[in-house]
Amino acid sequence: MILLDKFCFGYKANSLLYQNLQLSLERGRIYGLLGKNGAGKSTLLKNLIGLLYPTSGTVSVNGFNPSGRQPSFLRTIYFIPEEVYVPALTINNYVKIFAPFYPAFDRTMLNTYLEKLDIQTDKKLNTLSFGQQKKFIIAFALACNTSVLIMDEPTNGLDIPSKKRFRKLISSSMHDDRIIFISTHQTRDLENLIDQVVIVDNGELVLNAPVEVIGQKLSFKIVEENYNEQPVFYEEELLKGRAVIIENTNGLESQINLEQLFNAATENPVMVKAVFNK
Amino acid sequence: MNDILSLSRFGWLIRKIFIEKTASVFGSMLLCFIVTLVFYGMVMLLQGIAEAQNDAFLVGLTLGGALMASVVFGYFSNDATGVSFLTLPASVLEKWLSGILIIGLYFFLFLVYFRLIDLAFVAQYHHNLNTHSPYYKEQYELVNILRFTDSTAAQNFTMFFNFTGIMMLGALFFNKAAFIKTALVICSILVAGFLLNLFIINLLIKNVQTAFPFSIVWLWVGKERARLDLSSENADIVKIAFRFVLPAILWVLSLLRLKEKEF
Repeated sequence: MILLDKFCFGYKANSLLYQNLQLSLERGRIYGLLGKNGAGKSTLLKNLIGLLYPTSGTVSVNGFNPSGRQPSFLRTIYFIPEEVYVPALTINNYVKIFAPFYPAFDRTMLNTYLEKLDIQTDKKLNTLSFGQQKKFIIAFALACNTSVLIMDEPTNGLDIPSKKRFRKLISSSMHDDRIIFISTHQTRDLENLIDQVVIVDNGELVLNAPVEVIGQKLSFKIVEENYNEQPVFYEEELLKGRAVIIENTNGLESQINLEQLFNAATENPVMVKAVFNK
Repeated sequence: MNDILSLSRFGWLIRKIFIEKTASVFGSMLLCFIVTLVFYGMVMLLQGIAEAQNDAFLVGLTLGGALMASVVFGYFSNDATGVSFLTLPASVLEKWLSGILIIGLYFFLFLVYFRLIDLAFVAQYHHNLNTHSPYYKEQYELVNILRFTDSTAAQNFTMFFNFTGIMMLGALFFNKAAFIKTALVICSILVAGFLLNLFIINLLIKNVQTAFPFSIVWLWVGKERARLDLSSENADIVKIAFRFVLPAILWVLSLLRLKEKEF
């Protein structure tokens, strides 16, 4: 479990990026962390792995304070940064030197994941393309079987077929004891993958809700130009008509559009919060 | 689970670092050895073998050690390597010791290497002497291999431990171009220390020609220069401070800095 209590963080003491953030992430779910560029998504993730320390408040991951960076904590969590590092080693040698640090690592699983992501090579990893390197690290991270997996913009650098494979792989490797926390600003990459949406903006938690609750509370519709039956949280003109987000009053769930949800939450945070706090 | 030091985990870490950083670690060592050899040869041609021994030892051990210290914690010049190093499931002590081990390895290998090249150069010098010269015996005895127990070596060891400590600390403070930035900080401290010391001495004593911190003051007495040395008791205190206390502080600070490192 991940718990942030009254979490405050700032790169400068007099200018806080996060103030009194409360966030709780449960096992068995895939969380999508959405935010604009510079909203502090990577900063939040770095606080969870212990690369940055909160200015005040507490962060707890699996009962550990991440800032201690103890081996018993680090072996339970894997962080994939936006820019991955692979040394000049073959896959076999990489596994030989990195896998012993992760007691639950499973080589058979790694082979399966590599196959699913279409990485079969005897070349040194640093000679592969950035996308290939990233896919290897994703496969390795999943095979480490850590209870927490944190990914910062994992789909950056992946081609379109790889993004699809990535979504399938993440879904298939999920289990009840694991938390997967994925940060991205490319909302479409997470559609049909995540169980819960976390949106941060201006250092504030704008939304933290399960996908099913979002479906129950909000309605994503294409309406007539002159639609005015309900207050609209967000609207945009599409080729097929006027797309709106309104409060779901009839109980019928519609297909969630993460991009529109994100825009609604960041452009109209007060209204969105009000709906979810009802 | 031991979160401070586990021998098996330390073994994995050392294996990882040596496999992963073979080029940078051994490349830097090789570079230092080559520079030492070239420096020894050049100074010998220009200023004689005795000067060459001291200068090459200083360059190879102190500057080479400083370079190695900068390389071993050089993970933070790049986001990906820095994150990978800090999030690897090994303890802070193990990560720090892995750096110390590489510096220690360099220290040991350098002494062996220096002894070998010193033996070769000294043997060559002895071989080239004219055995029929009336001064043969004096010339022969004038040059011997550098003893690692004499005061020159001791001063170099002191500098080695101080500079490696500062460089490790610098590599953990400055993420980009740590070696250059730390070298600039060292130069600034040395110059500022020298000038401050000179300023204070000038306030206290008249006719000062120059002064070196913790060491000596040169005075003008008429047209002659006279030296004012530190008392032997104070000199011993300074020696202990620079030989043991300061390096210990710097090395421990590098461990604490690694523990507190945010990236």
